[in-house]
Amino acid sequence: MSVNTDRRRFLGGAAAAGVAASSMNLDVLKAESLSNELKKSGKRVLLLWLAGGASQLETWDPKPGRLTGGPYQAIQTSLPGVQISELMPKMATRLHNTAIIRSLNTQIGDHGGGARLMHLGRRDEPNLKYPDMGSVLARELGRPDLQVPDYVSFYTATEGRGNAVGQPGFLGARYAPMFLTTDNKPANLSRLEDITDLDHKERADLRDLLSNRFAKGRVSESLGSHNVAYGRVRGLMSSEKLFDLSDEPQKVKDRYGKSLFAQQALVARRLIEAGTPFVKVARAWWDSHGQNFETHLELVTELDHVMSTLLEDLEERGLLEDTLVVTLAEFGRTPTINASLGRDHFARAWSASLTGCGIKGGTVFGATDEDGQHVKDNEIGAAEMFATIYKAVGIDPHHEYFVGSRPIPLVDPGTHAVAEVLA
Amino acid sequence: MFQADPNNFRELRTTNRPDIILRMTRNDDTGEVFVGSSDAKVYQVDPMVEQPEFLAMEGHTSYVMGLVDTGQYIVSGSYDKSLIWWNKETKQQVRRIEMAHDRWIRNLTTTPDNKFVLSVADDMVCKIWDAETGDLVRTLDSHIKVTEHGFPNMLYAVAVSPDGKLIATVDRIAKIKLWDFETGKELKELEAPKCYTWDPKARIHSIGGIRSVTFSPDSTKIAVGGIGQIGNVDHLAAAGRVELFEVASGEKIHMFEGDDKHKGLVEQIIFHPSGKWLIAVGGDHGGWVQFLDVEKKEVVKQLKAPMHVHQMVVTADFKMAFGVGHNRLAVWSFEPEELMEEKTEEAGS
Repeated sequence: MSVNTDRRRFLGGAAAAGVAASSMNLDVLKAESLSNELKKSGKRVLLLWLAGGASQLETWDPKPGRLTGGPYQAIQTSLPGVQISELMPKMATRLHNTAIIRSLNTQIGDHGGGARLMHLGRRDEPNLKYPDMGSVLARELGRPDLQVPDYVSFYTATEGRGNAVGQPGFLGARYAPMFLTTDNKPANLSRLEDITDLDHKERADLRDLLSNRFAKGRVSESLGSHNVAYGRVRGLMSSEKLFDLSDEPQKVKDRYGKSLFAQQALVARRLIEAGTPFVKVARAWWDSHGQNFETHLELVTELDHVMSTLLEDLEERGLLEDTLVVTLAEFGRTPTINASLGRDHFARAWSASLTGCGIKGGTVFGATDEDGQHVKDNEIGAAEMFATIYKAVGIDPHHEYFVGSRPIPLVDPGTHAVAEVLA
Repeated sequence: MFQADPNNFRELRTTNRPDIILRMTRNDDTGEVFVGSSDAKVYQVDPMVEQPEFLAMEGHTSYVMGLVDTGQYIVSGSYDKSLIWWNKETKQQVRRIEMAHDRWIRNLTTTPDNKFVLSVADDMVCKIWDAETGDLVRTLDSHIKVTEHGFPNMLYAVAVSPDGKLIATVDRIAKIKLWDFETGKELKELEAPKCYTWDPKARIHSIGGIRSVTFSPDSTKIAVGGIGQIGNVDHLAAAGRVELFEVASGEKIHMFEGDDKHKGLVEQIIFHPSGKWLIAVGGDHGGWVQFLDVEKKEVVKQLKAPMHVHQMVVTADFKMAFGVGHNRLAVWSFEPEELMEEKTEEAGS
């Protein structure tokens, strides 16, 4: 699926999604955001989505000396006794800010199903459209006083793009992502040259007048969502410069590197710095059924550089304390190496990382067995992972929305955040 | 002299293994066979017996990617960046060069006189070592280290011409460098760009590269092997590909490509001593052996192998072939079946 997020499509989508939300009867009064205090705290989340499924063995959970371990060695990190793949020498020096989770068992081993699970934190339900992580965080952390988008999602590769779920679900279109696919800048965000700024304002005023007259005496969630979406347009238009790297110092651009992933990570840092509460940068495609070690030599080398640069940059700007950086995928890869020297899909025992806001850096949670075939200690699933992310940025994962009279907790009931990795 | 005929080539037996056997070397004078494994060990093995025993030699800590027999020593190279000289009798280490390269060693070869060992690695240099002393003689350094797309380049294979005058090295982005052995001077660069697939849109990474290289027996031609252009770079989803060049002119003589039933990488190419045909081995999830006729310029025979074949050695008389690969060691014969039966009967009478 290719979504060209320009202004008109944003509004069109907002209207359609508003109707959908309305039909689900989100009870706005009961479903208020957690608190204004939380919004004011400036917490943010940056998700590095490793689309297609990165290998845990070539990143966070190496198995040197085992037949499943592959050819790469493990190297010592800045944490005594903790090793990661030699493909990540830069991250190895700064692991003291990072928590590694080595015990994800998410069970779903197909791209579509796995990606939905790791975006929504739960399995789909036929009669209820859940919001994805980005929409929840946009709602809970987004600040109406800031004229920046609340949820920006980069996914440029075409493979697996349709799996990168960005859905506000019952929260309504106000929290839909700005989904960037073909360019690092939103298309058509600029005001048309033949319309003056005054014209643009007056058109908006006229639209408001007509809309308010129409809404008088009518009660509708979709109308509300539609008007809020229009109200945000001028804010989004003014944020265009955040996507333009031309004014970024050359030495900063050089530091990140020339790759598309690097450039998008830099734009993500700019958005985070400006107050965008959730940015997802998808790096596709890690699906290394053949030649896993060559593919990971390319992609992990890039990830190691971009991620370590991003974390350093955030830290130097004083942003890391309030920014949670997550690496996640739909699953990991099989410990067993196939005849094409590839690794296949594997959701039974894989890894993720959490760095920055709310995280106890320098921790490793969970463990797999000596061949990486099974989780040995502290198994967790998607719900626990989501609860941990929410908790790290100050959101109670047991907070409930109400769809009609039905309470919907942020994560499945009975699941808890991983306290061991939280600060 | 025995006239090997590809039409008589057939599998005799296989031996299962838990590991991936990546490299193999056989001494034609003694018949000694050593193999290098994904379990980081070198093994001595006699593939001619029904149930071969594997005698382990431990010293590396990662995949053994290069293995040569210098007559006096076995020399192995590994992803652990080290080179080890082994005493063939005692199976003990004679010499170890810990950081022979800065990055992963991909392959080794020797000069025809066995006086030098050549290693290639992902630091993108070829190093020439004195086979007797282990001294570094020369470093050949001109392959680019980072591709135009910003990814690490990889130096996969090296060959020395039978006349001992030329060295060829081949890399990920399908460049072939020819070097003067005596001076270390780069003579020319050839390329086989179809062997490297860069996907700028769907998956934004690459696959392929030239994985094998060899000279013709008269040193006038060079053959390189890899895989053709791939639509879906998640898989080895294209036919194996061999390109043949004239050394003097640098002109491409022909491109051989197997059919759709024989997809994957060409891991090794072996010329028949006549120079008239060659063998290509490799695979994807499965493996194959192909026979390529240099004069007819066509693939004359293709057959399935019992595994993805990483390396093959053929006896000097071209009667037998031994292959190693994914979880298996295999033995093939070029001798006609009826001849083999006669031999068996004679041995029994």
